[in-house]
Amino acid sequence: MASFVELVLTGITSGLVVGLAALALTLVFGIARFANAATGDMMTVGAYAAVVSMAASGSFTLGVVAGAGAGIVVALLAHLLVFRRLAARAPVTSLLASIGVAFVIRAAIGVAFGHQQKVFGLPVVRPWRIFDVRVQPIDLAVVIAAAATLLVVFLILYATPIGRRMRAVADDRSLARVSGISPDRVMVTMWALAGGVCAVAGVMLGAKTVVSPDMGWDMLLPAFAATILGGIGHPVGAVVAGILLGVVQEIATPFVGFTYKIALAFFVLLLVLLVRPAGLFGHSEGAR
Amino acid sequence: MEAYFVAIAIIVAIYTLLALGLNLQYGLTGLINFGHVGFMCVGAYTAALLAEQGWPAPLSFLAAAILAALAAYPLGLVSLKLRDDYFAIVSLGFSEVVRIVVTSERWLTNGVQGIPGIPKLMGFTGSGLVQASAVLLLLIAVNIVVILVMRRIVHSPFGRIIEAIRDNEDAVKALGKEPVGFKVRVLMLGAALAGIAGAFYAHYIGYVAPDQFIPLITFQIWMAIIMGGVGRVSGALVGTVILMAFLEGSRFLRDVVPFISEVEMASVRLGVVGLALILFTLYRPQGLMGDFTRR
Repeated sequence: MASFVELVLTGITSGLVVGLAALALTLVFGIARFANAATGDMMTVGAYAAVVSMAASGSFTLGVVAGAGAGIVVALLAHLLVFRRLAARAPVTSLLASIGVAFVIRAAIGVAFGHQQKVFGLPVVRPWRIFDVRVQPIDLAVVIAAAATLLVVFLILYATPIGRRMRAVADDRSLARVSGISPDRVMVTMWALAGGVCAVAGVMLGAKTVVSPDMGWDMLLPAFAATILGGIGHPVGAVVAGILLGVVQEIATPFVGFTYKIALAFFVLLLVLLVRPAGLFGHSEGAR
Repeated sequence: MEAYFVAIAIIVAIYTLLALGLNLQYGLTGLINFGHVGFMCVGAYTAALLAEQGWPAPLSFLAAAILAALAAYPLGLVSLKLRDDYFAIVSLGFSEVVRIVVTSERWLTNGVQGIPGIPKLMGFTGSGLVQASAVLLLLIAVNIVVILVMRRIVHSPFGRIIEAIRDNEDAVKALGKEPVGFKVRVLMLGAALAGIAGAFYAHYIGYVAPDQFIPLITFQIWMAIIMGGVGRVSGALVGTVILMAFLEGSRFLRDVVPFISEVEMASVRLGVVGLALILFTLYRPQGLMGDFTRR
């Protein structure tokens, strides 16, 4: 029983990483209307920035902040240099360009830092025991970082004027426009949020495992699966679906084996598309 | 030197087959297939495993095409009814899952080590340059047949419908045609081509391993068809030649700039493919020699 609870806890922490990535995906999907394949590599940016700044300063908190900052900068650059200019064209163009952005980011990281895996070098701590259940302190740090990020994002989305405008653009772009909402500012805010969220997810993933140039790209499939499971453009749905997916992956790992963890996300994705393409929280017209 | 050019030409011909398949799917029908390499992988492993069992090449190639097409069928059925970008995501996921499966199922595929010792094609012609030239001729013949069939398709009622699906799916529906069936057929046809290309690849390289079938290959083909001009049958060939000039050129670059390691070079290649995708979508979506007046 205790080991089952441990699996679920691990699932929740790794699910939070997926959920944050899915949140970033769903923000871009809902507002800029394309699937951003560079999401994973923006995570990698965050992880590397955090590793570098933590090595320089020795503070993990500072690493998270630096990671988030780097993610925001890269996402804004991608928006200003590439996606903004493609906004008027078919979503396919942006999707294809986002693959290009993903490759360029991964290549730049590969050239700058090499392909050796890096670690955060966090001190190894004995896990806490709570009612016979082992809890890793790093998992707690991950949960706190994720909760703080979610709090910031949802406060911005649901309690600020710019968040209201973002939701308006996501709902009906032309209606938002005639109501006097400038899409440019909404886009910039959205990309900054998406980049920051991606980067924090990357730092969390890197802190739990290792940091390598491919780490983010490998998360793309689970993140896509969670985005669609949660309903495209649905921020709460993305996070809930990410956590669900993380728990399912952890519970299934003893049965299907470690290598099929990612493949499981794919089958969840197929299943959702087959049974309920709108996702758990979405409207059916969004999917067709 | 001749041997080098024949080797390059064989790779160009294999990539052209892949590009023709993707051109049928994206260029003519508008399907965003981000998992082309997955179908190639299915074909390559099928051919490799059947060759190990002693199947004659024509039969194993047929099996490679059929299995790749069959792998495409459920994917298309699930995702082609939905928004365009869903299929992009599903196909990308498919190619990653195929790679995971061939990495994990060691009893069948020998895992990361892969399957070595796949016999050369056209072995009866001898060895060395003669054999390689025979393979090249066979590949050129296959390509010509495929191009002729493509031209037939473009000018057939089927071709007009798939181009109409690309340009305006709702209009096709309004005229009483169900687009999904056509899309699934196009997907399977393109996948079969990728399967055949994979079989050629397996026999030519002589071994298959999961590392050969990374998503980068898919996007190299995308780069090729965008450079050559989307929707043009000749564009597949032109784009592939440019792509290969770049890939081979990057190899020579290492002789000139010796301080770049092989690992760094792999990153540079990835970056150039990415940059090309960005720049072409931004500035030349119609390709290098495409028509300026359309789209």
